[in-house]
Amino acid sequence: MIQVIRETHEAPESVQERVARAGGWNRFGEPNFRVVWGGARLTWIGGRWTDRDANGNVIRESVELRRAPKYVPYDRWHIERWMPPECYGSPEEWYAQTIEEEDGIRIAALGPYPSRGEYEHCFTLESTSREFIPLSAGACDWITRAVEWARRQPRRGLRRALDRREADRARDWDRDMDAVLDEEFPRVS
Amino acid sequence: MQNAQSVALQLEKVRDKLPLLYERDDILLTMIQQRGDVERVSSRNMRLPLQIRPGGKAGLANMDGGDLGRGSGTTYDVAQVTPVFFRHAVEITKLVEYASNAPEKAIENAAKREVKNNMAQFRAFLDKVMQTNGNGVLGTIGSIVTTGLPSGVAAQFNLAKPPGAQLFYYNQTIQVYDPTLTTNRGSANILLVDPFNSLIQVDGLPTGTSANDLIVHDGLTGAQPVSLFGILYHQTNATTGTWLNLNRATYPVELATPAVNGNNSTLTPGAVRLAINKVRKSLGSNQVSKLIAYTSLEQEHQWEQLGVTISQIIKEGAGGRASDLDLLFTGEKSMAGVPIKSSINANSTRVDFLDLSHWGRAVMQDIDFYDVGGQTVFPIYGASGGLASAYIFYFVTGFQVWNESPRSGAYINNLAIPTGY
Repeated sequence: MIQVIRETHEAPESVQERVARAGGWNRFGEPNFRVVWGGARLTWIGGRWTDRDANGNVIRESVELRRAPKYVPYDRWHIERWMPPECYGSPEEWYAQTIEEEDGIRIAALGPYPSRGEYEHCFTLESTSREFIPLSAGACDWITRAVEWARRQPRRGLRRALDRREADRARDWDRDMDAVLDEEFPRVS
Repeated sequence: MQNAQSVALQLEKVRDKLPLLYERDDILLTMIQQRGDVERVSSRNMRLPLQIRPGGKAGLANMDGGDLGRGSGTTYDVAQVTPVFFRHAVEITKLVEYASNAPEKAIENAAKREVKNNMAQFRAFLDKVMQTNGNGVLGTIGSIVTTGLPSGVAAQFNLAKPPGAQLFYYNQTIQVYDPTLTTNRGSANILLVDPFNSLIQVDGLPTGTSANDLIVHDGLTGAQPVSLFGILYHQTNATTGTWLNLNRATYPVELATPAVNGNNSTLTPGAVRLAINKVRKSLGSNQVSKLIAYTSLEQEHQWEQLGVTISQIIKEGAGGRASDLDLLFTGEKSMAGVPIKSSINANSTRVDFLDLSHWGRAVMQDIDFYDVGGQTVFPIYGASGGLASAYIFYFVTGFQVWNESPRSGAYINNLAIPTGY
């Protein structure tokens, strides 16, 4: 019996080109944004692995560096954004933070230092009810619009936006509470 | 009959609405209820059987008359939870009532306003206690100022960060304990809370109060008080002390939550991946899909400053095209794909990755008005023994929070707080 362990796909070149044009290029001439399939986007993960069966029982433990899918869910398209190497600190800081020691073996838990930067998860292409969305022309349009929009936004307004969201939350709660209590506490008459 | 004269009746009518006002997903406690279990319990301990260690002995065998060896069995133990009770007392004077009993005086009746305001306050209090490590400690005194203070203020406590002053509120009664939580030095009321400067001012200075003393909420007594088991209680890699009546030293690996030390550096994608990968390595990738990243607004801001996420931008500013963008977008901000849930009360130096399907509440009493024989509003007596011109009612609830699998989560601690906070 053949068991499919991991499904892999590549985003069509035309989609990658459109997303790259929308998001621009980094200092290495690579796109700032790209589309990847969850099951195909691998990364280094090192340390003590505990493998389990379908019931959660431990099958084996091993200390090793593995290439494993970086994001869940595996069966979705994910949009990644390039992060410059300075986001990860210096190589010394990187190894100081990521080296783990298991059974006397020193292992880089996140693999080698990302000297050319690294692509990180930006968002997952799925519906509000978390259903799969294929990488159609419409979805591609949406992604490029989102990317173009993101590029135009200054970062200085982020804190204000968070404060505004919290104020909105408080106001919504107050309004909902009024709605609940108005039935039992009629206006003074 | 005036509206104000029917307060008791109105409270009776509104009591079934209280859970609705209380159980909303904007606080950690209700997130736990909505995604985890709620168990109704009596005054006896709730017991949580845990399969802690695997059993059996596997290995190569010599079938040519070799010794197959002995076996072993699974290790089980029992965690135990006992609910603790909380109360929130609300007093209304007759003057307030009289001032709101006619449309030309007020548009809202006093009882409604007090139910609303104090329900919000009680929720906030419980959420703040939920951020602590089970002993009710809301803050640590860094230094004490007793001079140059406004009239009526006995002392100012400058508080260590985290959590600074963010778990306190105005007019709250607090108690001061020594740093080992053995000696209760006394209580005081808060006259001012300044979370930006991490200080509170109080109306009394309990004798013996000194730097490094701990401030706990009202109602706790004796040495090593027990309060709500919060995030810091369940999400720790400590190997000493107890956890739900189990000795952490007995199961130093099984009861420890995987941790990444932020070393007072800013939050980076690397630290986030390290924490998430710790869960993956020990429990498998499926486990990661259940996580949420619970953090403070400070760390949420820090994550946004990295420029990885664009969700907020889409949600807030796509103008006329926002709706069609939203159709394809869950609207959740994420940290390496893990949805972010932030709270103003969360520890400002941590990101906690929680699998709330393993969390739950042992509830003995849902939130409700305290009632005696159906009466929920009580008179207050003056010093003379006669009635005072005020009445009182209470919100009460009794529960405890449990987590059946501390290893299912992870956390990053000791992160630097972004400038400006």
